Amino acid sequence: MKSLIRRNFDKQPIANYPDYKSSSLRAPKNKKIYIPSSISEISGPKFNKNIIGKLDNDLTLNYSHNNKVPIGQKIIVHGKIVDQYYKPIEGALIEIWQANASGKYLHPNDQNDVPIDPNFCGSGRYITSSNGYYEFRTIQPGAYPYPNRGIEWRPMHIHFSIFGKSFGQRLITQMYFQGDPLIKLCPMINSIPNKKAKKSLIGSLDLSLSETDKLLAYKFDIILRGYNQTFFENRKEGL
Amino acid sequence: MKHSDNFFDETPFQTAGPFLHIGCSPNLIGINNIFKNDLGVFPFEKEKHSNIISISGSVFDGNSEALNDVMIETWQCNDKGEYLDGQGFARFVPNEETKKFTLKTIKPGAVIGLDGKFQSPHILMSISSRGINMNLNTRIYFEDDDLSNDTTLSIINQKDKINTLIAKKIDKFNYIFDVYLQGNKETVFLDI
Repeated sequence: MKSLIRRNFDKQPIANYPDYKSSSLRAPKNKKIYIPSSISEISGPKFNKNIIGKLDNDLTLNYSHNNKVPIGQKIIVHGKIVDQYYKPIEGALIEIWQANASGKYLHPNDQNDVPIDPNFCGSGRYITSSNGYYEFRTIQPGAYPYPNRGIEWRPMHIHFSIFGKSFGQRLITQMYFQGDPLIKLCPMINSIPNKKAKKSLIGSLDLSLSETDKLLAYKFDIILRGYNQTFFENRKEGL
Repeated sequence: MKHSDNFFDETPFQTAGPFLHIGCSPNLIGINNIFKNDLGVFPFEKEKHSNIISISGSVFDGNSEALNDVMIETWQCNDKGEYLDGQGFARFVPNEETKKFTLKTIKPGAVIGLDGKFQSPHILMSISSRGINMNLNTRIYFEDDDLSNDTTLSIINQKDKINTLIAKKIDKFNYIFDVYLQGNKETVFLDI
Protein backbone atom coordinates (compact mmCIF):
# COMPACT_ATOMS: atom_id res chain seq x y z
CA MET A 1 0.00 0.00 0.00
CA LYS A 2 1.27 3.51 -0.69
CA SER A 3 2.47 5.47 2.30
CA LEU A 4 3.40 9.06 2.98
CA ILE A 5 7.09 9.93 2.91
CA ARG A 6 8.15 10.29 6.49
CA ARG A 7 8.22 13.88 7.69
CA ASN A 8 11.65 15.50 8.20
CA PHE A 9 11.34 17.50 11.43
CA ASP A 10 14.79 19.07 10.93
CA LYS A 11 13.22 21.22 8.24
CA GLN A 12 10.18 22.16 10.34
CA PRO A 13 9.72 24.68 13.18
CA ILE A 14 10.63 23.76 16.74
CA ALA A 15 7.38 23.26 18.66
CA ASN A 16 8.49 24.88 21.91
CA TYR A 17 10.40 27.98 20.82
CA PRO A 18 10.91 30.29 23.81
CA ASP A 19 11.27 33.45 21.70
CA TYR A 20 7.69 32.86 20.55
CA LYS A 21 6.01 33.07 23.93
CA SER A 22 2.64 31.58 23.00
CA SER A 23 4.34 28.28 22.21
CA SER A 24 5.48 27.70 25.80
CA LEU A 25 2.09 26.61 27.15
CA ARG A 26 0.87 25.02 23.93
CA ALA A 27 3.74 22.89 22.65
CA PRO A 28 3.44 19.29 23.85
CA LYS A 29 6.43 18.08 25.87
CA ASN A 30 6.45 14.49 24.68
CA LYS A 31 7.81 13.31 21.38
CA LYS A 32 5.27 12.58 18.67
CA ILE A 33 4.73 8.90 18.07
CA TYR A 34 5.33 7.81 14.51
CA ILE A 35 2.68 5.64 12.94
CA PRO A 36 2.96 4.23 9.43
CA SER A 37 0.31 5.46 7.00
CA SER A 38 -3.00 3.66 7.10
CA ILE A 39 -5.91 4.25 4.76
CA SER A 40 -7.06 6.95 7.22
CA GLU A 41 -3.99 9.15 6.65
CA ILE A 42 -3.70 8.63 2.90
CA SER A 43 -7.34 9.39 2.24
CA GLY A 44 -8.70 12.86 2.80
CA PRO A 45 -11.44 15.32 2.15
CA LYS A 46 -11.87 16.30 -1.49
CA PHE A 47 -13.39 19.67 -2.17
CA ASN A 48 -15.54 20.14 -5.21
CA LYS A 49 -14.69 23.08 -7.46
CA ASN A 50 -18.31 24.17 -7.35
CA ILE A 51 -17.80 25.48 -3.78
CA ILE A 52 -15.53 28.17 -5.20
CA GLY A 53 -17.15 31.42 -6.28
CA LYS A 54 -15.89 33.53 -9.17
CA LEU A 55 -14.28 36.15 -6.92
CA ASP A 56 -13.06 33.88 -4.15
CA ASN A 57 -9.43 34.29 -5.26
CA ASP A 58 -9.70 38.02 -5.91
CA LEU A 59 -9.51 39.76 -2.54
CA THR A 60 -9.49 43.14 -4.26
CA LEU A 61 -13.10 42.53 -5.29
CA ASN A 62 -14.60 39.84 -3.04
CA TYR A 63 -15.60 42.25 -0.26
CA SER A 64 -16.12 45.34 -2.33
CA HIS A 65 -19.18 47.39 -1.46
CA ASN A 66 -20.89 49.75 -3.93
CA ASN A 67 -18.10 49.09 -6.45
CA LYS A 68 -15.50 50.60 -4.13
CA VAL A 69 -12.07 48.99 -4.02
CA PRO A 70 -9.81 48.38 -1.00
CA ILE A 71 -7.02 50.80 -0.17
CA GLY A 72 -3.42 49.74 -0.68
CA GLN A 73 -1.07 48.30 -3.22
CA LYS A 74 -2.65 45.65 -5.41
CA ILE A 75 -0.54 42.52 -5.90
CA ILE A 76 -0.69 39.04 -7.44
CA VAL A 77 0.44 36.06 -5.35
CA HIS A 78 0.79 32.92 -7.39
CA GLY A 79 2.59 29.60 -7.62
CA LYS A 80 2.17 25.86 -7.77
CA ILE A 81 1.10 23.23 -5.29
CA VAL A 82 3.38 20.24 -5.87
CA ASP A 83 4.48 17.10 -4.04
CA GLN A 84 8.04 16.27 -3.01
CA TYR A 85 8.85 15.12 -6.55
CA TYR A 86 7.56 18.49 -7.84
CA LYS A 87 4.56 16.76 -9.38
CA PRO A 88 1.63 19.21 -9.56
CA ILE A 89 -1.29 18.46 -7.27
CA GLU A 90 -4.69 18.87 -8.85
CA GLY A 91 -7.72 19.67 -6.73
CA ALA A 92 -5.75 21.10 -3.80
CA LEU A 93 -7.77 23.54 -1.70
CA ILE A 94 -5.88 26.70 -0.75
CA GLU A 95 -7.38 29.09 1.80
CA ILE A 96 -5.60 32.33 2.60
CA TRP A 97 -6.11 35.08 5.17
CA GLN A 98 -4.25 38.28 5.86
CA ALA A 99 -4.25 41.78 7.34
CA ASN A 100 -5.26 44.79 5.25
CA ALA A 101 -2.90 47.53 4.04
CA SER A 102 -2.87 49.10 7.53
CA GLY A 103 -1.93 45.81 9.20
CA LYS A 104 -5.44 45.16 10.57
CA TYR A 105 -7.42 41.91 10.41
CA LEU A 106 -11.17 42.03 10.04
CA HIS A 107 -11.42 40.01 13.25
CA PRO A 108 -13.07 40.99 16.55
CA ASN A 109 -9.94 39.96 18.47
CA ASP A 110 -7.58 42.25 16.55
CA GLN A 111 -7.02 45.12 18.99
CA ASN A 112 -4.57 47.18 16.93
CA ASP A 113 -5.57 50.81 16.69
CA VAL A 114 -5.54 51.10 12.90
CA PRO A 115 -8.55 51.19 10.58
CA ILE A 116 -10.39 48.28 9.06
CA ASP A 117 -11.02 48.62 5.35
CA PRO A 118 -14.75 48.41 4.61
CA ASN A 119 -13.96 46.89 1.20
CA PHE A 120 -11.41 44.28 2.26
CA CYS A 121 -11.98 41.15 4.34
CA GLY A 122 -8.62 39.48 3.75
CA SER A 123 -9.89 35.97 2.97
CA GLY A 124 -9.68 34.02 -0.24
CA ARG A 125 -9.72 30.48 -1.52
CA TYR A 126 -8.98 28.50 -4.64
CA ILE A 127 -8.84 24.92 -5.91
CA THR A 128 -5.94 24.02 -8.21
CA SER A 129 -6.41 22.59 -11.70
CA SER A 130 -4.34 19.83 -13.27
CA ASN A 131 -1.14 21.90 -13.39
CA GLY A 132 -1.30 22.62 -9.65
CA TYR A 133 -1.35 26.35 -10.35
CA TYR A 134 -3.00 28.95 -8.15
CA GLU A 135 -3.31 32.71 -8.28
CA PHE A 136 -4.70 35.31 -5.89
CA ARG A 137 -5.17 39.00 -6.46
CA THR A 138 -4.95 40.88 -3.21
CA ILE A 139 -3.62 43.92 -1.35
CA GLN A 140 -0.11 44.07 0.05
CA PRO A 141 -0.66 43.33 3.75
CA GLY A 142 0.78 45.74 6.30
CA ALA A 143 3.17 44.80 9.10
CA TYR A 144 1.69 45.11 12.60
CA PRO A 145 2.69 45.13 16.26
CA TYR A 146 1.70 42.30 18.64
CA PRO A 147 2.52 41.40 22.23
CA ASN A 148 5.32 38.82 22.57
CA ARG A 149 8.51 39.68 24.49
CA GLY A 150 7.13 43.19 24.88
CA ILE A 151 5.69 44.59 21.67
CA GLU A 152 7.18 43.16 18.49
CA TRP A 153 6.32 43.54 14.82
CA ARG A 154 5.17 40.80 12.49
CA PRO A 155 6.63 41.02 9.00
CA MET A 156 4.15 41.37 6.16
CA HIS A 157 2.67 37.93 5.58
CA ILE A 158 -0.21 35.90 4.19
CA HIS A 159 -1.49 32.79 5.97
CA PHE A 160 -1.95 29.70 3.77
CA SER A 161 -3.93 26.56 4.60
CA ILE A 162 -3.69 23.71 2.10
CA PHE A 163 -5.46 20.41 1.69
CA GLY A 164 -3.83 18.14 -0.89
CA LYS A 165 -5.14 14.66 -1.51
CA SER A 166 -4.90 13.26 1.99
CA PHE A 167 -5.21 14.23 5.64
CA GLY A 168 -1.52 13.43 6.11
CA GLN A 169 -0.58 16.05 3.49
CA ARG A 170 -2.33 18.84 5.37
CA LEU A 171 -0.19 21.99 5.58
CA ILE A 172 -0.68 25.35 7.29
CA THR A 173 1.98 27.99 6.76
CA GLN A 174 2.69 31.65 6.03
CA MET A 175 4.24 33.41 3.06
CA TYR A 176 6.56 36.36 3.68
CA PHE A 177 7.70 39.00 1.20
CA GLN A 178 11.15 39.26 -0.32
CA GLY A 179 13.16 42.12 1.13
CA ASP A 180 11.09 42.71 4.27
CA PRO A 181 13.62 43.67 7.00
CA LEU A 182 11.26 42.36 9.72
CA ILE A 183 11.64 38.75 8.54
CA LYS A 184 14.95 38.17 10.27
CA LEU A 185 13.55 39.51 13.57
CA CYS A 186 10.44 37.33 13.56
CA PRO A 187 10.44 34.55 16.19
CA MET A 188 7.78 32.60 14.29
CA ILE A 189 9.90 32.21 11.19
CA ASN A 190 13.02 31.84 13.34
CA SER A 191 11.41 28.84 15.04
CA ILE A 192 12.55 27.02 11.86
CA PRO A 193 16.22 26.25 12.52
CA ASN A 194 17.15 25.36 8.95
CA LYS A 195 18.13 28.41 6.88
CA LYS A 196 17.05 27.05 3.51
CA ALA A 197 13.73 25.93 4.92
CA LYS A 198 13.18 29.41 6.34
CA LYS A 199 13.99 30.98 3.01
CA SER A 200 11.49 28.75 1.22
CA LEU A 201 8.69 30.70 2.96
CA ILE A 202 9.66 33.97 1.30
CA GLY A 203 7.64 34.79 -1.81
CA SER A 204 9.91 36.22 -4.47
CA LEU A 205 9.20 39.23 -6.65
CA ASP A 206 8.19 37.89 -10.06
CA LEU A 207 8.46 40.55 -12.74
CA SER A 208 7.52 38.02 -15.40
CA LEU A 209 3.94 38.08 -14.17
CA SER A 210 3.80 41.65 -12.88
CA GLU A 211 1.62 43.94 -14.89
CA THR A 212 4.19 46.69 -14.74
CA ASP A 213 1.79 49.53 -15.24
CA LYS A 214 -0.60 48.23 -12.56
CA LEU A 215 0.67 45.71 -10.06
CA LEU A 216 3.56 43.59 -8.81
CA ALA A 217 3.54 39.80 -8.54
CA TYR A 218 5.10 37.45 -6.00
CA LYS A 219 5.73 33.75 -6.59
CA PHE A 220 5.35 31.15 -3.87
CA ASP A 221 5.46 27.42 -4.66
CA ILE A 222 4.25 25.08 -1.94
CA ILE A 223 5.52 21.52 -1.51
CA LEU A 224 3.25 18.96 0.14
CA ARG A 225 4.40 15.53 1.22
CA GLY A 226 4.81 12.84 -1.42
CA TYR A 227 4.16 9.11 -1.27
CA ASN A 228 6.45 6.12 -1.29
CA GLN A 229 4.91 3.81 -3.86
CA THR A 230 7.15 0.80 -3.38
CA PHE A 231 9.89 -0.41 -1.12
CA PHE A 232 12.37 0.14 -3.95
CA GLU A 233 11.46 3.81 -4.29
CA ASN A 234 11.66 4.19 -0.57
CA ARG A 235 15.24 2.89 -0.56
CA LYS A 236 16.24 4.91 -3.58
CA GLU A 237 15.38 8.14 -1.79
CA GLY A 238 17.52 7.12 1.15
CA LEU A 239 14.74 7.54 3.64
CA MET B 1 13.45 23.50 -1.15
CA LYS B 2 15.53 21.32 -3.41
CA HIS B 3 17.07 18.25 -1.84
CA SER B 4 18.50 16.34 -4.78
CA ASP B 5 17.76 16.28 -8.49
CA ASN B 6 14.25 15.04 -8.07
CA PHE B 7 13.38 15.19 -4.41
CA PHE B 8 12.35 18.24 -2.38
CA ASP B 9 11.61 18.98 1.26
CA GLU B 10 8.09 19.63 2.40
CA THR B 11 7.33 23.35 2.87
CA PRO B 12 7.74 24.26 6.57
CA PHE B 13 4.69 24.87 8.72
CA GLN B 14 3.95 28.12 10.51
CA THR B 15 1.39 28.83 13.19
CA ALA B 16 -2.17 29.48 12.01
CA GLY B 17 -2.18 32.43 14.43
CA PRO B 18 -5.03 33.96 16.42
CA PHE B 19 -7.07 35.12 13.41
CA LEU B 20 -7.48 31.82 11.57
CA HIS B 21 -11.29 32.16 11.51
CA ILE B 22 -10.96 34.84 8.83
CA GLY B 23 -9.65 32.29 6.39
CA CYS B 24 -11.09 29.01 7.61
CA SER B 25 -14.50 29.78 9.13
CA PRO B 26 -15.32 33.38 8.24
CA ASN B 27 -19.07 32.96 8.77
CA LEU B 28 -18.37 32.14 12.43
CA ILE B 29 -17.08 35.65 13.08
CA GLY B 30 -19.72 37.44 11.07
CA ILE B 31 -17.99 37.67 7.70
CA ASN B 32 -20.93 36.05 5.99
CA ASN B 33 -21.15 37.65 2.63
CA ILE B 34 -18.09 36.28 0.87
CA PHE B 35 -18.32 32.48 1.01
CA LYS B 36 -21.76 30.88 1.06
CA ASN B 37 -20.86 28.25 3.65
CA ASP B 38 -17.95 27.50 5.91
CA LEU B 39 -16.36 24.18 5.04
CA GLY B 40 -16.87 21.07 7.17
CA VAL B 41 -19.93 22.29 9.04
CA PHE B 42 -21.57 18.85 8.70
CA PRO B 43 -19.34 15.84 8.06
CA PHE B 44 -22.31 13.78 6.83
CA GLU B 45 -25.72 14.73 5.52
CA LYS B 46 -27.70 14.74 8.73
CA GLU B 47 -31.03 13.76 7.23
CA LYS B 48 -29.62 10.50 5.85
CA HIS B 49 -28.46 9.23 9.24
CA SER B 50 -30.48 8.59 12.34
CA ASN B 51 -27.64 7.70 14.70
CA ILE B 52 -25.89 11.03 15.17
CA ILE B 53 -23.43 11.05 18.05
CA SER B 54 -21.92 14.05 19.84
CA ILE B 55 -18.29 14.22 20.88
CA SER B 56 -17.66 17.15 23.20
CA GLY B 57 -14.59 18.39 24.99
CA SER B 58 -12.04 21.12 25.48
CA VAL B 59 -8.43 21.69 24.51
CA PHE B 60 -6.34 22.56 27.59
CA ASP B 61 -2.99 24.35 27.64
CA GLY B 62 -0.13 23.87 30.11
CA ASN B 63 -1.92 26.00 32.73
CA SER B 64 -5.01 23.74 32.45
CA GLU B 65 -6.86 26.61 30.80
CA ALA B 66 -9.42 25.60 28.20
CA LEU B 67 -8.67 27.39 24.92
CA ASN B 68 -11.23 29.12 22.73
CA ASP B 69 -8.95 30.19 19.89
CA VAL B 70 -8.09 26.76 18.45
CA MET B 71 -9.38 25.26 15.21
CA ILE B 72 -10.11 21.55 15.11
CA GLU B 73 -10.44 19.48 11.96
CA THR B 74 -11.51 15.86 11.80
CA TRP B 75 -11.51 13.18 9.11
CA GLN B 76 -13.28 9.85 9.33
CA CYS B 77 -14.91 7.06 7.39
CA ASN B 78 -18.63 6.27 7.37
CA ASP B 79 -20.35 3.65 9.53
CA LYS B 80 -19.34 0.92 7.07
CA GLY B 81 -15.64 1.75 7.33
CA GLU B 82 -15.52 3.43 3.91
CA TYR B 83 -13.72 6.68 3.13
CA LEU B 84 -15.82 8.40 0.48
CA ASP B 85 -15.58 11.67 -1.42
CA GLY B 86 -17.65 14.54 -0.13
CA GLN B 87 -18.17 13.24 3.38
CA GLY B 88 -16.29 12.67 6.61
CA PHE B 89 -14.58 16.04 7.07
CA ALA B 90 -15.47 18.47 9.86
CA ARG B 91 -13.98 21.77 10.99
CA PHE B 92 -15.05 23.50 14.20
CA VAL B 93 -13.95 25.76 17.05
CA PRO B 94 -14.81 25.78 20.75
CA ASN B 95 -17.65 27.95 21.96
CA GLU B 96 -16.25 31.36 22.88
CA GLU B 97 -17.75 31.37 26.41
CA THR B 98 -17.91 27.71 27.46
CA LYS B 99 -14.67 26.85 25.61
CA LYS B 100 -16.18 23.49 24.73
CA PHE B 101 -16.33 22.06 21.24
CA THR B 102 -18.95 19.63 19.96
CA LEU B 103 -18.57 17.41 16.93
CA LYS B 104 -21.86 15.98 15.71
CA THR B 105 -21.22 13.07 13.41
CA ILE B 106 -21.93 9.40 12.80
CA LYS B 107 -19.90 6.78 14.56
CA PRO B 108 -17.24 5.49 12.16
CA GLY B 109 -17.01 1.78 11.41
CA ALA B 110 -13.96 -0.43 11.85
CA VAL B 111 -11.50 -0.26 8.95
CA ILE B 112 -9.63 -3.07 7.31
CA GLY B 113 -6.87 -1.72 5.11
CA LEU B 114 -5.80 -3.15 1.75
CA ASP B 115 -2.84 -4.54 3.65
CA GLY B 116 -5.24 -6.43 5.92
CA LYS B 117 -4.39 -4.32 8.96
CA PHE B 118 -7.30 -3.89 11.34
CA GLN B 119 -8.26 -0.55 12.80
CA SER B 120 -10.90 -0.05 15.46
CA PRO B 121 -13.37 2.77 14.77
CA HIS B 122 -11.51 6.06 15.02
CA ILE B 123 -11.50 9.69 13.89
CA LEU B 124 -8.39 11.62 12.88
CA MET B 125 -8.08 15.00 14.58
CA SER B 126 -5.86 17.98 13.80
CA ILE B 127 -5.48 21.00 16.09
CA SER B 128 -4.20 24.41 14.95
CA SER B 129 -3.85 27.71 16.82
CA ARG B 130 -1.69 30.57 17.92
CA GLY B 131 1.34 29.12 19.70
CA ILE B 132 1.17 25.84 17.77
CA ASN B 133 3.90 26.06 15.14
CA MET B 134 2.90 22.86 13.41
CA ASN B 135 -0.62 21.54 13.71
CA LEU B 136 -1.02 18.60 16.07
CA ASN B 137 -2.44 15.27 14.95
CA THR B 138 -4.15 12.75 17.16
CA ARG B 139 -6.93 10.14 17.01
CA ILE B 140 -10.25 9.68 18.77
CA TYR B 141 -11.21 6.10 19.66
CA PHE B 142 -14.34 5.03 21.54
CA GLU B 143 -14.52 3.50 24.99
CA ASP B 144 -17.25 1.02 24.03
CA ASP B 145 -15.30 -0.59 21.16
CA ASP B 146 -12.91 -3.52 21.22
CA LEU B 147 -9.51 -1.80 20.93
CA SER B 148 -7.34 -4.86 21.47
CA ASN B 149 -6.42 -5.44 17.81
CA ASP B 150 -5.99 -1.88 16.60
CA THR B 151 -2.80 -1.41 14.58
CA THR B 152 -2.02 2.12 15.82
CA LEU B 153 -2.77 1.50 19.50
CA SER B 154 -0.54 -1.56 19.40
CA ILE B 155 2.34 0.74 18.41
CA ILE B 156 1.66 3.13 21.30
CA ASN B 157 1.50 0.15 23.60
CA GLN B 158 1.23 1.98 26.95
CA LYS B 159 -2.11 1.95 28.70
CA ASP B 160 -1.97 5.45 30.22
CA LYS B 161 -0.99 6.91 26.86
CA ILE B 162 -3.62 4.97 24.96
CA ASN B 163 -6.25 6.27 27.38
CA THR B 164 -5.61 9.82 26.15
CA LEU B 165 -6.99 8.76 22.76
CA ILE B 166 -10.22 7.21 24.01
CA ALA B 167 -13.50 9.14 24.13
CA LYS B 168 -15.47 8.42 27.30
CA LYS B 169 -19.03 7.30 26.84
CA ILE B 170 -21.73 9.30 28.61
CA ASP B 171 -24.72 7.56 27.02
CA LYS B 172 -25.64 5.95 23.72
CA PHE B 173 -25.20 9.16 21.74
CA ASN B 174 -22.75 11.22 23.77
CA TYR B 175 -19.00 11.03 24.29
CA ILE B 176 -16.41 13.26 25.99
CA PHE B 177 -12.96 13.77 24.48
CA ASP B 178 -10.64 16.31 26.12
CA VAL B 179 -7.25 17.20 24.68
CA TYR B 180 -4.31 18.14 26.91
CA LEU B 181 -1.45 19.91 25.19
CA GLN B 182 0.83 19.48 28.22
CA GLY B 183 0.92 18.12 31.76
CA ASN B 184 0.55 14.68 33.27
CA LYS B 185 -2.50 13.98 31.12
CA GLU B 186 -0.75 15.15 27.92
CA THR B 187 -2.52 13.69 24.89
CA VAL B 188 -0.51 11.43 22.60
CA PHE B 189 0.22 13.30 19.38
CA LEU B 190 1.08 11.37 16.28
CA ASP B 191 3.67 11.81 13.57
CA ILE B 192 1.40 10.69 10.74
